[in-house]
Amino acid sequence: MALAATEVAQQPQASPSWNPLRCTGTALPPAVLLMAKLIALCLLLTNHARSLPEPFLPFLPVLDYFDPRLFRRALWVVYVGSATALLFNRWVRTSALLLGSSFLLALMASKLYYSNHKVLCGVVLLLTGLQRPGQDPWMLRYQVVIVYFGAGINKLFDADWRSGQFFEFWAVESLRQPWYTLAAGWLPPMALSQFMGWLTIITELALAAGFLMRRFWPYAIWGGILFHSGLLLFTSSTFTMFYFAMLATFLVFAPWPQSRVLVLFDGDCGFCNQTKNWLEKFDFDRRFDWQPFQNGGGQPWGITDAALQKRLHLVAGEKIYAGFAACKMMLLYNPVFYLATAALLAAPPLAPALFRKVFVGAMLLFFSPLFSPIGEAGYDLVARNRHRIPAKDRCQVG
Amino acid sequence: MIVYARFVPSRYFCWAPYHSQNHYEMDVTVNGRVLTAGEIQRRYRRPQKGINSRTIEDQKDIIAQYERTYGKNERAEVTLRYRVNGGAEQTWHWPQQK
Repeated sequence: MALAATEVAQQPQASPSWNPLRCTGTALPPAVLLMAKLIALCLLLTNHARSLPEPFLPFLPVLDYFDPRLFRRALWVVYVGSATALLFNRWVRTSALLLGSSFLLALMASKLYYSNHKVLCGVVLLLTGLQRPGQDPWMLRYQVVIVYFGAGINKLFDADWRSGQFFEFWAVESLRQPWYTLAAGWLPPMALSQFMGWLTIITELALAAGFLMRRFWPYAIWGGILFHSGLLLFTSSTFTMFYFAMLATFLVFAPWPQSRVLVLFDGDCGFCNQTKNWLEKFDFDRRFDWQPFQNGGGQPWGITDAALQKRLHLVAGEKIYAGFAACKMMLLYNPVFYLATAALLAAPPLAPALFRKVFVGAMLLFFSPLFSPIGEAGYDLVARNRHRIPAKDRCQVG
Repeated sequence: MIVYARFVPSRYFCWAPYHSQNHYEMDVTVNGRVLTAGEIQRRYRRPQKGINSRTIEDQKDIIAQYERTYGKNERAEVTLRYRVNGGAEQTWHWPQQK
């Protein structure tokens, strides 16, 4: 019965949900749809439509014959319409195809509009639209490899990157980075800049290789997140859409659960029941199957009642997580977490540069192994005292 | 395209932007009259001086395409002075000398 429910959740439905926080029931795999939605959401929130060009110095001379106002207006309608349709799960493949095509047409219409991150968004969305139902997203994966390979090779053959000249000028003269300038002063001239230049080259080429080989995907994902977030913290810039789009593409490498995720919790605990009820309100894809461990749900997985009494457990495929690690995985398996994070970063509620730095820094720390001992200790403290926490349901623990 | 990008100056659609910092300034004369910064901005839709963070070849390409197409009936002379990654100042002219 549970398996049947799972299969229904993964299959395309005749009428997909209008809820933008849902990612199942369409013609696209949930992770691919989530990736496309994240890009569409960030494009809309950053009001990218306002910068759409009219034909001016186009790559294709024929575009000069179009009426500039009409061209721009038509582009705007397709762009905003398809991005909105994608968010609301309407004709997801067609919407992604139209959004990506409108982006690429805009690029063709004006050399002034051209930039690397726009090409990335356009191509990724186009490939999403070409993704066949049930097909492995190999085209999107190879696209990510090509981006890193291209960027790495380009820098490797650039004398200013190898010598550190680029980094020196960028960090000291353009960004006026006080910490960088201070650190560079302690070292021989150009040493830090040369190190940073080579570190970037090696990182980009390593990411290309890492994303090429399945067994290295988890390392490449975390390496990529660290690399791009490090750049954001260093420059205070998202490089317009590049940060959002690049990180969103990592979802096509992520091990997204193919079936429902079992969550074993203490059914006799009022606080636990209340937490479960609250979290279920945000589980729009019905991804999590909450079961009181008292029903014996831990036995098939060899998890003892004593362990389940102490900590919440999460079973995703063959993997079992407990305590704080289980809580982190519940975040990572829920599209709401990604969409909310993207919304906050794309349209920060206050002081964008500072907010992004603090938020990204806090996220990196929260998910890093360095924080795990603190997180686990905090979890255990709450778990031990859960019967003291006021809850609507009466607690039978303790 | 990544390999092709190694052999062409303006690396459009090749996943291989230069990743360089170019400080530039341009002077433009059209039919013998020197254009102001505002007129240059209106002509090329680019500031008369500033930072180009992709490649200076892109700036040259935009000027050249404009003068070959929209401005082909005008006698424009452009001097572009630039420094790539803080290096020595270089100069580029339109029309290009053969």
